[in-house]
Amino acid sequence: MKDNNYHSMVSIGNNLNIEFGAVSTMSQLIMTNHAVVNYLKDDVGNYPRLTQSAMMAMYDISNTFNYVSSIYVFRLDKNYINIGKEVTYINTNIIHHPKFQEEIIEKSGLYVIRVNGDGAFKTKSGEPIISFIRLINDMDTQKPIGLIAINLTTDILRNSFKDMTSNDRRFCYYDDKGNVLLGEENVKEFQEIEINQNRFEQVAIEGFFSTKILSYFQVPNTPFTIAKIEFLSFNKYLSSQAIMVITIIISLTVICLIIIGIFISVYITNPIEKLVQYMDILKLGWNKRGNLRLSNLGIGYLKNIKNNKLIEINRLIDELLEKEKAMQKAELEVLREQINPHFLYNTLGTIADLALQNSADEVYDAIETLGNFYRRFLSKGSKEITIREEVAIVKDYLKLQKLRYEDVFEDEYDLQEDLLDIKIPKLILQPLVENSLYHGVRLKGEKGIIKVSVYEKDQWVHIVVYDTGVGMNPEQIEFLMNENNNKSFGLKGTIERIRYYYDTDDVFEIRSEEGEYCEVDIKIPL
Amino acid sequence: MYKVMIIDDEKSLRNLLKHAIQWGELGLEIAGEAASGIEAINIIDDIKPDIAFVDIKMPFMDGIEFSKLAIQRYPDLKIVILTAFSDFEYARECIGIGVCEYLLKPIVRADIKETLEKIIKKLDAKQPKKEENEVVVQGNDTICKIKEYIHKNYTQPDLNLTSIAQTFGFNSSYLSRLFKTETGKNLIDYLTECRMEQAMAYAKQGMLMYMTAKMVGIPDPNYFGKCFKKYTNQTYSDFIKQYKNK
Repeated sequence: MKDNNYHSMVSIGNNLNIEFGAVSTMSQLIMTNHAVVNYLKDDVGNYPRLTQSAMMAMYDISNTFNYVSSIYVFRLDKNYINIGKEVTYINTNIIHHPKFQEEIIEKSGLYVIRVNGDGAFKTKSGEPIISFIRLINDMDTQKPIGLIAINLTTDILRNSFKDMTSNDRRFCYYDDKGNVLLGEENVKEFQEIEINQNRFEQVAIEGFFSTKILSYFQVPNTPFTIAKIEFLSFNKYLSSQAIMVITIIISLTVICLIIIGIFISVYITNPIEKLVQYMDILKLGWNKRGNLRLSNLGIGYLKNIKNNKLIEINRLIDELLEKEKAMQKAELEVLREQINPHFLYNTLGTIADLALQNSADEVYDAIETLGNFYRRFLSKGSKEITIREEVAIVKDYLKLQKLRYEDVFEDEYDLQEDLLDIKIPKLILQPLVENSLYHGVRLKGEKGIIKVSVYEKDQWVHIVVYDTGVGMNPEQIEFLMNENNNKSFGLKGTIERIRYYYDTDDVFEIRSEEGEYCEVDIKIPL
Repeated sequence: MYKVMIIDDEKSLRNLLKHAIQWGELGLEIAGEAASGIEAINIIDDIKPDIAFVDIKMPFMDGIEFSKLAIQRYPDLKIVILTAFSDFEYARECIGIGVCEYLLKPIVRADIKETLEKIIKKLDAKQPKKEENEVVVQGNDTICKIKEYIHKNYTQPDLNLTSIAQTFGFNSSYLSRLFKTETGKNLIDYLTECRMEQAMAYAKQGMLMYMTAKMVGIPDPNYFGKCFKKYTNQTYSDFIKQYKNK
């Protein structure tokens, strides 16, 4: 970077020196021009006559060069001729002052550059000019015969950096006294620059969004110092790879932040909010149940604070909801099965047949039983029912079924009276009895027994449905209770309901001998 | 007079159908009834019904299964499926297999009458069956083959006169007569005999009735019980008891 800058400054310096080289060429053309030499060498007083042609020659030569403001050629006797494109004032006292000539003489023919000829020249417009001054030596004797001063416009300086100026790159020239000669005088930094002994100096002024590179370069062979200020937005001093890397890093950071944000929101904030909302719901009472699902991670955080309580609540509620759902589903299933047209329509058909053939008493009895059955069956929508009522449903049910399937079965009851007012989930007995009839007794082809027993043993109430049907082998029982078996809903659904209701898995036992009997024993805690 | 057969597992529903309709007025008669598809398969060749009322939901062999078999064996038989509304979609399948009509339970007399009248029209429109010229093919050889076939296949629950006749390429009534002349027995009786002899053998081993029933090709134990009693003059359980006592 610094090298780059240095090289560009050097190249501006070189441009300038090339221009001065051209000026030097011009001066040599003038110095060696016959007319000019004749004017300078004339020592018999003819020179006023020679001035015309010398000036013509100067004019012709200067026309082919740029930047020329005026040209002065001095004789040793202080006479001089001049041409000019611009009106220029001259102070000949300064020109002939030994101090002014000292360096020029010292250079003995090499040129010296001075701003405004160190005060000897002044344009009418006040624009500074660059005076290019050298001795004119006699070509034969190599003795000085005069002095040439070519005044150049400052364009010569301006053009040296013109092509390189841009919005964020500004230039400025100082003269040998450190004054701003031309350029961006209004740039603050140019005013404040301090030029020291070093030929090249560079300072970086770090800004908030951009950096300013301030540099100067003392152009060799001239009294000028060029200064440059460059405004760098960061993409200027970063390579595209660096920018890409930075972009990637920034994007990754942003993505990480988003992910962390989402993570926090999903696993921590939202669950907490949900939890808070849920707590509010809980305050209102249990009849308003929401579905609370909290992710493990958020919970994990809360777990440490809340000693597992929230998880526990969450789990219990989920469990409760699951149970509730399963219970309702199972109940509905039983209802659906029972209200299904087969049972009702076929029972109606049976009653219709009774009406056609038998006494009105029997018909009345059957209709009463059917009415009773459905009234209890659909009872009040309550979920619990006493064992007594449950048994009554079964009795009515079997009475109706007996009308349909005469000589298929007998029903028996063995009930411990003091247990009959215990409440149990509704409709757990009827599906079992139905199974006994359809999947047990009826398939056997012989008259069977369906027996319902209720008794207490070791603090458990046993409700047993026994039948002398075809029974089941262990594989069949297993298949029946298999979770994926959706075919036989009756038994499985009933067992599930009892399990949920009493919150224990150990609620039943199936005892059976294939071809002999089947016994479903429901155990409920007393 | 067209013959009607009622196939329903509930006796009271068969009775209701019998009594609710004035069959005679429609020019129909109840020729027989069966309590299961199995029983129906076994007796249908005797009854030779023109119309069959079939309950869709029966144990051992349901109405659809029976209808499929029946349509295949008795192309002229008009089948009326009885179904509750919940089976409606199921019942529509019946249309696909060629069942003539279906009626919704609980039965409504007007609907039944209407359906029957439709069916009677169809039956009337059919040409009366021509008695086919029976080529008398002989004889003992064929009967031996048929006997052998029965011995091999009596465990198939759907085996009956018509299926055997179809297997051997006979008209069923012709086969029936042929078998009778050759052996002095009805083919159906012969089949039952085979089954019952085997059943007795199982019974002697103390096998439960419903299992025996399944193993001799009459998976409906109720109907099997009937057959057994008819054949041995005692119930299956009595037979077992008696044998044990011996």
